[in-house]
Amino acid sequence: MTEKITRRTAVGLMGAAAALARPSLALAADDVEVAMLVPLSGPWAEQGILEKAGAEMAIDDINQAGGLQGMGGARLKLASVDTGATAETAKDAAQRMLSQHPNLAGGFGCWLSTFTLAATEVTERAGLPWLTLSYSDAITDRGFKNVFQTAPTANTQAEEIVPYLMKLAQGATGKTPTKVAIIGDNTAASVSFLKPIQDHVLKQQKLEAVVNQIYTPPLADATALVQPVRGAKPDFVMLLSTNNGDDKIIADSFTQYGMPATKLPLIGNGGHWVVPEMLKTAGKDILQDILIGLANWPGKAVDELSARYVKRTGNPWFGHNEIFAYAHVQMFAWAINKAGSADKQKVGDTIRTMDITDGPAVYFPGSHLKFDDKGRRVDAQLVIVQWQDGKPVTVFPEHMAVAKPVWPTSAS
Amino acid sequence: MVENILNAVAAGLIIGCLYGLMCIGLGLIFGIMKIVNFAQGELLMLGMYISFYVVAGFAAIGVLGPYVAPFVGALVAGPVLFGGGALLHRFLLTHVSGLSTAARLDQGGFGQLIVTLGVSLILQNGGLIVFGSTPESVRTPLSAKAFIIGPFGGDTMLFLNQARIFACVVAIVIAVALWLVMERTRLGKSLRAAADNPVAATYMGIDVERAYRIAFGLGAAITAVAGGLMATYLSFTPFVGLDYVIIMYSGVVLGGMGSILGAFWGGLLVGFVQQVSALVLSPQLQNAAIFVVFLLIVGLRPEGLFGRSAERA
Repeated sequence: MTEKITRRTAVGLMGAAAALARPSLALAADDVEVAMLVPLSGPWAEQGILEKAGAEMAIDDINQAGGLQGMGGARLKLASVDTGATAETAKDAAQRMLSQHPNLAGGFGCWLSTFTLAATEVTERAGLPWLTLSYSDAITDRGFKNVFQTAPTANTQAEEIVPYLMKLAQGATGKTPTKVAIIGDNTAASVSFLKPIQDHVLKQQKLEAVVNQIYTPPLADATALVQPVRGAKPDFVMLLSTNNGDDKIIADSFTQYGMPATKLPLIGNGGHWVVPEMLKTAGKDILQDILIGLANWPGKAVDELSARYVKRTGNPWFGHNEIFAYAHVQMFAWAINKAGSADKQKVGDTIRTMDITDGPAVYFPGSHLKFDDKGRRVDAQLVIVQWQDGKPVTVFPEHMAVAKPVWPTSAS
Repeated sequence: MVENILNAVAAGLIIGCLYGLMCIGLGLIFGIMKIVNFAQGELLMLGMYISFYVVAGFAAIGVLGPYVAPFVGALVAGPVLFGGGALLHRFLLTHVSGLSTAARLDQGGFGQLIVTLGVSLILQNGGLIVFGSTPESVRTPLSAKAFIIGPFGGDTMLFLNQARIFACVVAIVIAVALWLVMERTRLGKSLRAAADNPVAATYMGIDVERAYRIAFGLGAAITAVAGGLMATYLSFTPFVGLDYVIIMYSGVVLGGMGSILGAFWGGLLVGFVQQVSALVLSPQLQNAAIFVVFLLIVGLRPEGLFGRSAERA
C-alpha cells in the first residue's frame, strides 16, 4: 500500500529534521562564546581574515590546554561575523550578531575605526564587553563603559612617533629635521592621528608641515598628493592611509618621482602597511626602508608563538592584526576564568578592574593590562617596524627590536 | 608651481584616457543601446582579474616579460568578456531590452535596473568566493617608473608614469578603432540602426537581437580591457567596480548620450577635472569637483558636452 505524504506531513517532517539537526549546530551546554566582528568582505577583508587566523589559533591553544579552567574546562568558541564594507553594514552586523548569539561573553573588532565607532553603539547598549585594536580616540571619548581600547590611541601614537623620528633622523644625519610632509586620508583613524600633530606636536618639535594633503579613499592616482612633495623637499613624509590599494599607489608614486624610502624617509601608520599582500602587490624594492608606526607587533618575547603561527597558516609572518586577535581571545579567556563566569557583565567588570603584567599581557607592547576610566589601556606603547629585505622587522621599542632602524642619510 | 600644474595636467589627461575607454564600454551599452547596466563596474573588475590570471596564472610574465605581459593580459580580457557579455545578454538581458521591450512605456528600463543590479551583486560576491578578498595587482616595474621630460628651466620636470602612458596609448588606439567600426562599417551601422528604432531596423532586415548582443559584448569587452590596463598600476579586490561605476555614468552623460567619441571625451574630462582640481582644492574634494563640473555642464547643456556632434554617432 502506498501512503501519500501530504504537504502538512512534509512540513512537519522538515521541522522535525531541523529540530534534530539543531543540537549539532548549536553550542554544547557548557561552551562559552566570544564574538569577532571584523571585515571579511569588501576592501578591508584581508585585515579581518588575518585577525580570524590569529583568533582561531588562540581558540585552539586554549581548548587544547584544557579549555576554560574557571568554567570547569568549558570549551571556548568563536562567533565570526562580517562587518561588510561600510559603517552602516557594520552596525547592522553588530545587531545581527547580538540576536544570533545571545549568550556572548564578549567580543572584539572591528579593525577600521569608522566601523568600530558604529558597531560599539550597538554593543554598548547591550552591555557587551568589547575589545578593539582600532586607533581613533573618538572610540573611547564617548563615555562608554564596556569598550576597551587595547591599542594606543591615534593621539598617543602621534605624540610618540614624531619625537622618535626626530631622534632617529638626528642620529643618522647629524641634523634636526625642520620640515615634514603629511599625506593622509579622511577616515576616522587618520583624522584622529593628524589632529594632535597639527594641534601641538609639530610646534613642540619645531617642525613645519610643508605639504599637508588630505584625500578621500580610494585613490585612482597619487600625482596630486606626491608631486608637491618634490618641490617642498621635506626631511621626512608621514603617510596616513588606511588601505593596501592606496599604500601601493602612494609608494609607487614616490619611487616614480625619484623619492623612494631609501632616499626620503617615508613613515606609514597602521597594520595594512605590513600585511603579506603588501609585499605581493607593491614588491620588496618599493617597500624597502618604509617605517611603520603600529599599535602592536610581535617582538622577541613571542618568538615561539610567531613560529607556530607561520607553521600553522603558511603565512610569512605573525603580524599586527593576528597578534591583536590572538591577544583579545586570550584576554577573554583570562577574564572568564578569573570571573568564574561567562556572564557578560561579570566579564566586563573583570576586564575593567584587571591589572596584570603576565598572562595575556605579554602579547601587548608594555606588557601591562590595565584600563583607565575611559577604557584605554594604561601604558599602551607604540611599536615601529621597518620593511627590510622584504620583511617587516621591529625596530622600536628597543626591548622588542630585532633589527636596527635605517634612516637614509641622503635625505635633504 | 609650474611643475605641479604640468604634472597635474599630464596625469589628468592620462588617467582621463583610461576613464574614456571605460566610458566607451558603457557608452555602447547605456548611451547607444539604452540598457541601464549596473554591472558595468563588475565587468571592469573581471577584466582586471582575467588580466591578472593571464599574466601570473598562465605564466605569461615568464614568456613575455613584465613589460609586455600586463598589456597582453589586458587585451586578452577583451575577447573573454565579449563572449561573457554576449551570453549575459542572450540569456538575461534580452528579456528586458531590444525588440521585446520596444512597445513598453519604459522600454524595459525597470527590468534592466533589477536584472543588472542582481548581476552586479552576484559578480561581486561570486568574485569574493572565486578570487578571494586578498588584494591583487598585475605586477610590472613600469608602475613605479616614469619618463622624465625636462628640465624646463630650473628644476621643473614632467614625470609620466610608464604603466599609465602605455595604458593610455592602448586606450586611444582602441577608442579610435571602435569609432571607425561604428562609423565606417556595416556592423556599426546595423548596431546604430537597431538602437535607434528596433522595429524599423527589423523591417530593414537587421537582426536586432543579434545587434544588441554584439553591442553588449563589445561594451563589456572594452570596459574589461580598460580594467586590465588599470590593473597595471592599481591593486584590486572583487569590490573595485563600485569605485568606478559612477565615474563611468558621469562620463557617458557628460559626453552626450549616443556617441562613442562623446563617451571618450566625457571620461577624459572626468579624469582631467579629478586631477587638476587638486591644484586649487583639497585632494579630498577631487570627486566632489567632478560632480560640480558635471552639474554645471548638464545644467547648461542637458544634451551633454558633445551632444550635438554626438547625435547618432
